[in-house]
Amino acid sequence: MDNPYIQLTQEFNHGRLRAILASGQAVVLYRLAIMSKDGDWILEEEAEALAHVVATLARHGARYRYGAPLDLRWLVHGWSSHLEFQEGGLRLRCDFVTRPPRVSPVVLRALWEAPVQKEASVVSLPVLAELKKTNREKDYAVIGELARKMEDPRLQALYSRSVRDLMKLAEDHPEAVLGAVVERPLLSRIGQGREEIERLLDEERRSLIRKNEVRLDRYGEAAVRWGAEWPRLSKEMAGRPLAEAHAIKVEKAAEHLPRKP
Amino acid sequence: MSGRRDEFLSDEDLDLQNLSTEELETYWRLWLIQAQTTNHEDRASYSHGVFERDPSVP
Repeated sequence: MDNPYIQLTQEFNHGRLRAILASGQAVVLYRLAIMSKDGDWILEEEAEALAHVVATLARHGARYRYGAPLDLRWLVHGWSSHLEFQEGGLRLRCDFVTRPPRVSPVVLRALWEAPVQKEASVVSLPVLAELKKTNREKDYAVIGELARKMEDPRLQALYSRSVRDLMKLAEDHPEAVLGAVVERPLLSRIGQGREEIERLLDEERRSLIRKNEVRLDRYGEAAVRWGAEWPRLSKEMAGRPLAEAHAIKVEKAAEHLPRKP
Repeated sequence: MSGRRDEFLSDEDLDLQNLSTEELETYWRLWLIQAQTTNHEDRASYSHGVFERDPSVP
C-alpha cells in the first residue's frame, strides 16, 4: 500500500518486528473511519528497536517535536516521543510509546507475541479500544464500532457502547456478560432497562475522560521544567541531523525531564 | 425490540469496509492531502501521547 504510514511501519519493521501501528491509522486499517493525519506506534522496548526507528526517521529528514527523547529511560515510564517530517507535500507526524496507557503488561506481551497483520502490523481490537479511551468524545463512538468487530462475546460485553447491543448480548450470551461484570460493573445492571444503561454508559464515558485528564495532568506537571527549557533547546537542535539532535535531547532531558512522572 | 440499531459512525465511514485495498488507499491519501489545510492551526497540538501542546509555539 502506498500510504506513508504503512510504508513507515514496513521500514520500522525491516528485518524483524519493532513497531505496531496504533490509534487513528489502525482504525483505518480496520476500515472503520479515516480520522487522523498522524501516525502512532507502539515500539518494542529494546534499545535496538529505538535506534532503528531513529535511523529510519533520520533518512526521512525528521526532526524532534516537543516530547521525551526516543530513549527507554523515559519511555518505560509511559512518556511519549514525537517527531515529524515533510514528504510528498504531506506533514507526517510520528508518535511513539512503549507503554501504552490502560494496556496491562500481560496484554502488551501478547500483542508482541501475536500481532494482528493487516496491510501492516496493527494493534488488536481490544488494545485499540483501550487506546481510544481518551478525553475526546469522538473516540467513544469508535470504541462502540470496534466492539461490533470483536468476535468474542465477552470482549463485546467489555467494550460495547450500545444499549441495544448489550441487551442482545445479555440474551444471547448471558455467561459472557456475567463473566465480564467484575471488569465492567455496569453489565450487572442490564436488567434494569434501557434508560438506566444509557445513564451508566454516559457516566462511564465521563469517568474515563476524567481519568485520562488526570493521567495527562500528572505528566504535564512533571514536564514543567522540560517545557520551560524546550524553546531554547528546540533552537539548539534545529537544522542538525537527527542523530545529533537526539544526543542533545537525551543529554538535556537527563537534566530537565524526570523519568518517572 | 425494533430493527433499529445504535449508530456511532457515518454511513460514509462504514462504507470503507466495501472499498478494495486500492480504493481505500486512494481515498486515504486524498483525505491526508485535504487534511494538510489545518497544519498551521494544529502545529502546536498533539493527537497521541502525554504531551498536549508545544510550548515553543506562540
